[in-house]
Order: sequence, then structure tokens, then C-alpha cells
Amino acid sequence: MDLALILSAMGCWLAASVLALTRLPGGRLYIGLGLLGAGLALGGATHTLIHGQVSQMQFQFWGAAVCLELDALSAAFILPLQVVVGLGCVYASTYWPASTPRTGTFVRFFYALLATALTAVFICRQGMIFLVAWELMAISAFFLVGTEHERPEVRRSSWIYLVSTHTGTLCLIALVVLLFRHTGSLLWSGMPTPGTHANAGEIVILLVAILGFTFKAGAFPLHFWLPGAHAGAPSHISAVLSAVMLKSGVYGILRISSLLPPVPHLGGILMILGGITALYGVACALAQRDYKRLLAYSSVENIGIIFMGIGLGWTGRALGNPWLAALGFGGAILHVWNHAFFKSLLFFGAGSVLHATGTRELHALGGLGKRMPITTLAILPGVMAVSALPPFNGFVSEWFLYRGFFASLLHDSPWWAVLAIFALALTGGLAGVAFAKFFGFLFLGEPHSAAAEHAHDPGPSMWVPMAILGAICLFMSLGSPLLLPLLDRVVSVLAPGSPELLAAGLGRDLSFLSGMSILLIAMGAGAFLWLRRSHSVPERPGTWDCGYAAPTARMQYTADSFSDGWSALFPMVKTRVRRIRAIFPGRTTFHTGFQDAVGDAWLAPRIDRLATRLLRFRRLQRGYLSIYILYILIALVAVFLWMLVRRRLLG
Amino acid sequence: MFCDFLLALAFLTNFSLAVSGRINKVIQMAVFQGVLLGLMPIAMGLGRHFHILLMALAAIVVKGWLIPFLFRRAFKEAKIQREVDPYISYPASLILCALGTGLSLLMAQHLPLPPDTPHPLLLPASMATLFTGCLLLVSRKKAITQVVGYLVLENGIYLFGLLLVEEMPLLVETGILLDLFVGIFIMGIVIHHISAAFDSMDTHNLSKLKD
Repeated sequence: MDLALILSAMGCWLAASVLALTRLPGGRLYIGLGLLGAGLALGGATHTLIHGQVSQMQFQFWGAAVCLELDALSAAFILPLQVVVGLGCVYASTYWPASTPRTGTFVRFFYALLATALTAVFICRQGMIFLVAWELMAISAFFLVGTEHERPEVRRSSWIYLVSTHTGTLCLIALVVLLFRHTGSLLWSGMPTPGTHANAGEIVILLVAILGFTFKAGAFPLHFWLPGAHAGAPSHISAVLSAVMLKSGVYGILRISSLLPPVPHLGGILMILGGITALYGVACALAQRDYKRLLAYSSVENIGIIFMGIGLGWTGRALGNPWLAALGFGGAILHVWNHAFFKSLLFFGAGSVLHATGTRELHALGGLGKRMPITTLAILPGVMAVSALPPFNGFVSEWFLYRGFFASLLHDSPWWAVLAIFALALTGGLAGVAFAKFFGFLFLGEPHSAAAEHAHDPGPSMWVPMAILGAICLFMSLGSPLLLPLLDRVVSVLAPGSPELLAAGLGRDLSFLSGMSILLIAMGAGAFLWLRRSHSVPERPGTWDCGYAAPTARMQYTADSFSDGWSALFPMVKTRVRRIRAIFPGRTTFHTGFQDAVGDAWLAPRIDRLATRLLRFRRLQRGYLSIYILYILIALVAVFLWMLVRRRLLG
Repeated sequence: MFCDFLLALAFLTNFSLAVSGRINKVIQMAVFQGVLLGLMPIAMGLGRHFHILLMALAAIVVKGWLIPFLFRRAFKEAKIQREVDPYISYPASLILCALGTGLSLLMAQHLPLPPDTPHPLLLPASMATLFTGCLLLVSRKKAITQVVGYLVLENGIYLFGLLLVEEMPLLVETGILLDLFVGIFIMGIVIHHISAAFDSMDTHNLSKLKD
């Protein structure tokens, strides 16, 4: 029943993509189909999460058994997916309308196809079909990333994306084959027998799965394709890629690990990997000047946090400690939801700013708070949530993880748990700084350029989705006790045998937290009203007066000077200053640039060198047919001679 | 007996192909070889199989009439008489061809074949013809001589096919013949375009097309 809802939702999205292709003037119908699909799938996923029933469908396809299955884990990923793609569809009707020259139809077609493929990825339980859905998702995302292919940097990042996603797929093909040899069937079903530990073959399968899916999830050091691809795509696409598509990698890791018995120590390793990813991502986010790249790096950070949660869950599973497993997996899933909502909100907000000003440079903006008040107000929950500040949802999922780490300290105090607590705390703090930069230099102060001066708020079809997402962020925090039973269902898929632990163990915590949050909001609102009543400022002075007689906007702090205090954190930033020598120096220049430690600094020069070396083989291409036939002839004669010689040599 | 005679003639045609510089003569030799090999199945006493007979007839018609017809058309267009300056000179070609023939005789002894093959010369002849075809393709500059090389190459394949003719389905033979016809047809078009674009038939000019 629930699976039928999901399948009909996929049908709606597919119909929408076909509709986009036909070039009929069906803008309303397209959005209608998209929203219908999202609604149907949300219904199915929510029902599955509440009742915890598994709905399954098996049939034969080309002589192989195929299984589609909707369980709580799939539903947990379909839920944020459909919210984001549904709202993104509405958002795009103004942001990237069908009438956009050349790319309007193209974007709508691949957007709907991506929504279909992503939904399929989450319900396919057979190796081959999963790979097909996975490739469909990767390819449609590639076309969406390359939407503005006339810009060289977009072209470059879309190629990098394509190469790295296919390298990941290569690992996944190996994974499907290995799983087939392990279980004797292409179907991904069944649970490991409880109490066993993984043997060598199963560890290899799990490692291959981690490698392949990490390419998609974008954890360090396989994140190098992510910032360029997510920053270069149109903003509603970036929202879907960042908020949902990265999670397909997380889903894959969780799904494969749920089929295999637990591996001791792997949880700790994943937790360390997650910690490095989170710290690296947030340090890079802090160093960015392009606000969409900043958001993209923040996605790397959040993937790191999710990986830390999964690592904690695996540790709990391997130690046979259901409480740790529940906290880890529950925190990871909740953070998947939270990140999906606040990151899509942030990307929608970034899209509104880009739409209004046409620039992605933090340096050129500022003072948008007065010019775009609705956008500012709508994006604020996202900024607070990504910095893990109460009363928004990012805080709640990190609370799970902190509880888990402290609980594991109480049990057998492994050293990585201490490290993880530090990493998580540092990440949260730095994320706060990075987003203070994001928010401050976009919306506060005075405009740095004419582009920001004439900005204005977008229409309701753009801000309503943002407002809905902001409300969801708030609700997920205030209503977090209500989410606990749902999380328990997901945890029971990932770590069987721990029913209702979260609802029993964390219910009081979260009720207290949401009570405090409500109190905080009430106090804040009261203070705001009281201040407005008592003080009425007749005329507001400019933000950056600073006592100057004639200040200009260029005297303001820049985003770089703001993050300069943390520059010890990023060796990736290269500064080039020309020395000033003379007493009356002439004009001089100053240049800073950001280099990703893996992608730009390590990988790119090596690939360039390899390409130069391979260029030598160009000499073989002479342009004469005769030469090519000569190659064939030489090869043929050589094979024959080898046959003769081999007979003599080896008898 | 007659069969060995035909094969010896095929060897001789190979040598003659390797040295002749007149395009007219090269074409004549290749067509002659084609018809010669078309007669092979009958000489081998395979006339009792109707489909092989039909196949041989088709080969003779295509190689003896259709392909020369296409060649004459391309030839008229090209207005050249001789291949003046090949990549490998004629004496050197002859020596290479002789080496290739020797090598094929050597190699034929070492190929795993059914032990009671009635025609021991068939395999070396086919390989020598293949080699000569490749040599022509590699060493000549003019497009039309290269097409002849392709034709000779196909003759070698046809000869090789005769070894297995009783096991090989008709479809494969027909496929090869069709392949040959289409290949030469397309090359005729290419020749036309080369001579129209560069005012010569030299494939040397095509190297400008590489990226």
C-alpha cells in the first residue's frame, strides 16, 4: 500500500519530466504533478515511519528476481527528499522558469528525472536495478550541474563531478558483484544472524561500500568534486544535490551495513573520518568568499557529523550496546533530516540573493537586510540551525551525538570518543563563525556595490518555500519529542533488537529542551515587543558610521578580514602581497586565493602531470591510414611469431 | 591438381601486385585473383553443395564484374595512370612480399588444423594473400591502390574461409561479401571527395584532418 503510493509518486515525477520535454505550455501542470508526487510519496513515507510496516513487491524482470521494498530506513530518506524536491519545484517556477532561454526545458526535465531516480534509489533492493537507478541519478545530476555550461568553471566542475561519480559507481559495481558472490543472490534483503561478527569477506564488502558511497556522500578526502558542482548549479538544484543527493551515499552505507554483521573498530574509524571531514569542511567554509561555495563546504561538514553518528551507531552495534547504537543511528538520521531542511533553506536563500544581485561574491554584497527583509527573516532559521543554535533543529541532532559520546565515555572510555567530542564542539563553534560571516556580510552593514544596492525581495513563489522550510526547522526542534518514535523505527532496521530505546531514554531530555526553547522564543518575542514600545528611534543612522565625517561603504570590514583571525586554521589560503619598498610607494596589489587541499593542491597537479605524460602517445596518431594499418599488421605478425616462438620455448 | 595450380597462380598474382606501378594493371591483377579464387570451390570438388556453388557464383559476379565496374568509374574520375611515389618502393615491396610468403609457409605448419586437410597449400596461400593486402594498404599513397589492397585482403579472408567452408554457415560468407561491396562502394565515394577537395587522390592530404 505505502509502496504503491511511492510508485505512483515516481509516476507523477516521470510524467512531469515527460511533460517538460513536450514543450507544452504546462507550467502549472508541471508544478501540480510535482507537488502531487511529493504529497503521495510523503504520505507513503510518513505512514511507513509511523506504523513501521514493511511493504514489499517482488517480480521477475529479464529473468531475474527484482525486489522493491519500503521500510523505515527508506522512508526516512524519502521524507526529506520529497519535501525538498516538492518545494524546489515551486521555487524554480520563478527562479528558473520554463521560459529561460535554452535551459528552461532542459532543467525542468532533468529535475523531475532526478527526483524519480532518487526515489528509486531508496526503494530498489536488487543490485542491478539499484545500479541503474543510481546511474540515472548521477547522470541527471551531471546535466543539471552543467546547466550553465557556457561558463568554463561550470564545465570543469561538471566534468570533475562526472569522473568522480563514475569512479564511485565502479566501486559500487564491485560491491554488487561481491555481495552477489557472498549471498548467492542479487537481492538485498535479510538480516545478519545476531551475535556474529563479520568475517574477512564481509569486511571487504563493507570497505568497498564505504569507498563507493563516500564518493557520493562527499566525505574527506573524496569531497573534492562537491564544492564546484554544488556552487555552479542553479540554486534550487544545489539545494536538491546538497540536501538530498549527498544523503544517497549515507543511505547506501547504512543499507549495506544493515545487511552484514557488525565489524569491530570500523565504527571508531568512521567516527575519526567523520570528525576530520567535519573540521575540514567547516574550516574551508570559513575561508570561502563565494557564498554558495561556503554553503557547499558546510555540506561537507554536515556529512562529517552524520558519519560520526553512523560511526557511533556501528560501535554500539559491535559492542552489543543498543543504547549507543540507538543514539548514534538516531542522531545520524535526525541530522540527515535536519541538514536536508536547513541546507535547502540556505540554498534557496542564496538563490534569492543571487537572483536579486547577480553575484556570488560576499565582497560585493552587504546591507541586504534592509532591502530584502523577507528573505533575511526566512533565512535566519537556517543560519541558526546550521550553527547548531537553539531553538532550531541542528541543535537537537547534535544533542543526540553528545549524549552518545558521553555515554560511550561512561562505558569503556575509548580515546576516539574524547576526540569526537572535541571535534564536534569545535565544528559547532566554527560553523557559528562561518555563518556569522555568511549572514553578516550578506545582510548586515552597508552595500559594497551597486548590485546589492538595488536588490529587492523575490516573489511569493520563492519566499513561501523558504518560509515553509524555516517553519519546519523550528518545528523539528520544538516538536522533537514527537519525532522519537519515528527515529526508533529507523533504528530498529539498522540495529535490530533495540525497540523504543530513544523514546524511553531521550523523551525527558527533549521535552525539557523544547520547553526551554519555547520559553526562549517567548522571552525573545516579549523583549522585542517591549523594546519597540519603549524606544522609538526617529531616524536610523547608517550602520558603519564609526565617527567618520564622510564614511564610504568600502571602509567596512570585509569578509576576508572577518575570517582572517582564524587563518591559522587554513593553510589552503594563499596570500600574495607585493612588498612595499619606497618611501612614497606607488600603486600595489594584494591577492588571496583559496585552494582545496585535496582537489586543487594535491590531485590537480598530479592529473595534469599524468595528462602531459600521456600526451607522448599522441605521436602514435599520425593521421595516415597506412600507419594505422601498419600497427595492426605489426601486432598480427607479432602474435603469430609469438605463437611460433612459444611452441619452441615452452615445448 | 587443378586446385594447386590455382593456388600457385594466386601466389604469383601476389608478387605481381607487389611490383606493378600501373594502376590499371593492379586493378586487373586483383580482379583476376578474385575470379581465380571464385573458381576454387569448384576446383576443390565442392560443387555438390548447392549453397557453396551459389556462393562462388556470387563471388565471381561481385569481384569479376561489380567491383571492376566501380573501379573504372573511380578511375575515370581520378585521371591518373601510375602510383609514382609509394611509401615503400617497388623492389622493397617485392622483397617484403617474398618474406611474407615465406613466413606464411612457415606459420602454416604450426597452425592447429584438422590433420587430414586435402590442400596443404591453401592455408599458406591465404595468409600470403592477407599479407600482400596489408602490404598494399600500408605502402601505397593513392586511395585507389589502397582500395585494391583492401580487395586483396578480402581475397585472403575468402581463401581462409574455404578451409572451413563445410562448417561455416552461408550467412558468414554472404556477410563478408556484402562487407566488401559496401566497403569499396564507400571508398569510391571517399575517393571522389578526396579528389574533389584536394585535386589529387593522395591520402597524404587526409593527415590534415587529424585533431
